[in-house]
Amino acid sequence: MSERTLPRELPNPGWGPLSALPGNPLMWVLILSEMLVFSAFFALYAAQRVGATALFDASQRQLDPLVGGLNTLVLLTSGLCVALAVEAVSADRIRRARQWLGVSMALGVLFGVIKGIEYAGKFAAGITPETNAFFGFYYGLTAFHFAHVLFGLALLALVTWRTSTENVETAAAFWHMVDLIWILLYPLLYLLR
Amino acid sequence: MTTLPGTRRLLTTWATLMALTLLSMVSARLDQHSWQALPLWSAGLVIAATGFKAQRLLMVYLNLRAATPAWKGTFVGLVLLTLALIAGGYLAARFT
Repeated sequence: MSERTLPRELPNPGWGPLSALPGNPLMWVLILSEMLVFSAFFALYAAQRVGATALFDASQRQLDPLVGGLNTLVLLTSGLCVALAVEAVSADRIRRARQWLGVSMALGVLFGVIKGIEYAGKFAAGITPETNAFFGFYYGLTAFHFAHVLFGLALLALVTWRTSTENVETAAAFWHMVDLIWILLYPLLYLLR
Repeated sequence: MTTLPGTRRLLTTWATLMALTLLSMVSARLDQHSWQALPLWSAGLVIAATGFKAQRLLMVYLNLRAATPAWKGTFVGLVLLTLALIAGGYLAARFT
């Protein structure tokens, strides 16, 4: 067999169908399942909105799309820092990798602070998850996502302590999934009116 | 160990993602003081920008470009399905 016809080397040999995925294959299973769970919630949101368009429109007006946009920019920049940490640790630049992870965590905390301020403003205005169906979705979806942010921060802290290529790649994949979900959540809740 | 995207590609992708986020915000006309429904072209632009952002994040940040076409298709297909749900729900709410 000539070199040209040799099959491409798989990133994770021995993982069956998952062997062609980069990084930790189990993280991809998690990403796929999380995307499906959030998609199901998005479908439910869409169905509820059709039945109560005026209520959803009036409620959506209470959200500040600039705050959501700012948080998108913060999270995407945090994702860049994590990706740079993977590049650094792969080049055996452990100290640099830890620095990038530190910046990424700081931006993750900033995301949480902005989200906390947003929640506080809503609660101060008397808007709670029980206010109506829209705010049930708003709090439910963003709090579920925020729980992933907190877990992601814990993972990043763990791999900053136990820094290896595999560990950082795995935590980075989780953090990028958090980015990905927010990218889809932001227009749904804040922009499309 | 798979081939990583490289610093240059990561920075380019980040700049693209930031620009598309700002484009989405402008498309949704956040500068307008009076709240009103988006024109269809504007909503379409927001959804298209979101889809492209998700694709770039998958391919570069998550390095899915190193996977087989079947896996790339699976994840991009799931993103497209999610966006179709979002767009379908939005249009149904607007026109029913």
